[in-house]
Amino acid sequence: MRAISLGVRNVLRNRFRTSLTILGVAVAILAFVLLRTVLSAWTIAADFAAKDRVVTRHKVSFIMTLPGKYVDDVAETPGVKTALLSSWFGAKDPNHPNEFFGTIAVDPQKFFEVYDEVVVPEDQKAAFFAERRGIIIGSAVAKKLGYKVGQRLTLTGTIYPGNWDFIVSGIYDTTRQSVDKSSMFFHYDYLNEWTKQKRPRSADQVGWIISRIEKGRRPADVAKAIDTKFDDSDIQTLSQDERTFNTSFLGMISAVLKAVDVVSIVILAIMMLILGNTIAMGVRERTHEYGMLRAIGFLPKHLVIFVVGEAATVGLLGGIVGLLISYPIVEQGLGRFLEENMGAFFPYFRIDSKTPPIALTLSILLGVCAAIIPAYRASQLDVAASLRKIG
Amino acid sequence: MSETARELDEEKTGTEGAKASGSGAPASAKPPVIELSKVRKTYFRGKEPVEVLRDLDLDIPTGSFEALMGPSGSGKSTLLNLIAGLDRASSGMVKVAGSDLSKLSESARTKWRSQNIGFIFQTFNMLPVLTAQENVELPLLLTKLSAVERRQRAQTALKIVGLEDRMDHYPRELSGGQEQRVTIARAIVTDPPILVADEPTGDLDRDSAEDILDLLVKLNREFEKTIIMVTHDPAAAERASIVRRLNKGVLV
Repeated sequence: MRAISLGVRNVLRNRFRTSLTILGVAVAILAFVLLRTVLSAWTIAADFAAKDRVVTRHKVSFIMTLPGKYVDDVAETPGVKTALLSSWFGAKDPNHPNEFFGTIAVDPQKFFEVYDEVVVPEDQKAAFFAERRGIIIGSAVAKKLGYKVGQRLTLTGTIYPGNWDFIVSGIYDTTRQSVDKSSMFFHYDYLNEWTKQKRPRSADQVGWIISRIEKGRRPADVAKAIDTKFDDSDIQTLSQDERTFNTSFLGMISAVLKAVDVVSIVILAIMMLILGNTIAMGVRERTHEYGMLRAIGFLPKHLVIFVVGEAATVGLLGGIVGLLISYPIVEQGLGRFLEENMGAFFPYFRIDSKTPPIALTLSILLGVCAAIIPAYRASQLDVAASLRKIG
Repeated sequence: MSETARELDEEKTGTEGAKASGSGAPASAKPPVIELSKVRKTYFRGKEPVEVLRDLDLDIPTGSFEALMGPSGSGKSTLLNLIAGLDRASSGMVKVAGSDLSKLSESARTKWRSQNIGFIFQTFNMLPVLTAQENVELPLLLTKLSAVERRQRAQTALKIVGLEDRMDHYPRELSGGQEQRVTIARAIVTDPPILVADEPTGDLDRDSAEDILDLLVKLNREFEKTIIMVTHDPAAAERASIVRRLNKGVLV
């Protein structure tokens, strides 16, 4: 037997209470892991961003459009291999009014040149090119809403009002996480024809331009070259590599991310209080024993080791149980649900590899912190008085 | 000295400190192992001082078995705590096993206790998560003995108290008398010269109490331990070689 093992064995003393405490810590760790996963999933689009794509938008705001002719100018910029126009459409399926999915108007041919990670069977791709009302749909949203290749699909425009008829030309998948599987892409021409008729002043405008750059080119150099081109124009541009562009979106929700971050810390603080309360109860109950240990020669520091060792063990066990339940809940249950239903926001909802060691370390550290006051009190016991105390 | 007594004596713990010489001569002929001179102990109940021991002088010779008796509040336990180094006297000298306890710091007294005093409590105070053998091993964790040596010493101590067949039992699996035997084994495992027992038979039935008293007598006679026992029980006090009575903080 070793001195440290005494602290560990005390964990098993009141099994029911210890089990409840471990469960409490485990739930706190689950919540922590979940929130950290939300944060990492939110930022993962930035992490997965392609290194050879540059996004060009209106210099003032993302919601302001660019003249369509800019696409050719961007395409002619040295270092740009292909330039793709894109416009946010915004639509709802009237049969599924509560479901959110992205709808983006693009140049069909160039779309596959710029996004080579998007995979569609060749026959479906050919059908998409040939059909003006063709639309390709991400596999996640197609599975969820039951869309089939060849079916007619009527969407209700939110920015461009009215019913829009489409034909599902294909279901796409992706080879990387840089594009989510919950969006729909259709012909820009189809949208622009409507705009010419209904909103002539908005015709031939694009939301943003995505450029695939040549190998060996630095995205920052190409972005600068693009922006320089429009420096003297009425409408100036802001070009960024895809990662920076994605990160700028996160900036818009930074307050939310910060709040999530704070909540995850608050949860750990609650866990510490739960653990601290349990340890304090144990110390109170063992006053007599601690008095005996002090009497037979154990020093205050030994009692501190016993109490802290016990708390650290409970924290560690809670952390392990928390992680064990986190994986099936976060990755199999919630993760799949979010990827299928909110793929635009959470394209890849998986526990980050850094989270488990952080969670385990924190659960031990917080266990130690929770034990500080009870351990101090145990170490300061009056030996003679504590031997008189019963229970 | 019996065979097991010699066995324990030979397996010295490596702990330092004064040891009783234990020549087997009559206790009164030996030098005092405990000397108290003009000892006062005052507690404060709020701002009001309560004098528990008053100018107490006491010499206890090496190897004696003494019982302290007296009514509740007479100062028996306080005196025992001072002798055992658990508490400090308000004034006067408390010299035990060659050390003036009033001059020792808290940590030095703690170390001194581990080497010189064996404690036997009324309520046993065993750790329920440890087996009998592990409970006995507890004081040895503070020594430099190896795990094997600790185990051997604990087994020897349990053999002395007649519990060699209960080594792996947890306290909940032992009777009250057996628990007190384990406590005694724990008290002697470091081979201290002095044993202090606070109502060692207080929680036991008559038969178990007699067994424990037999054991204490054996430890005094065969192992030459100096034993100071606080008790309310006249039958227990009869087993001691000297009975001292305290009343209102003075020996009568």
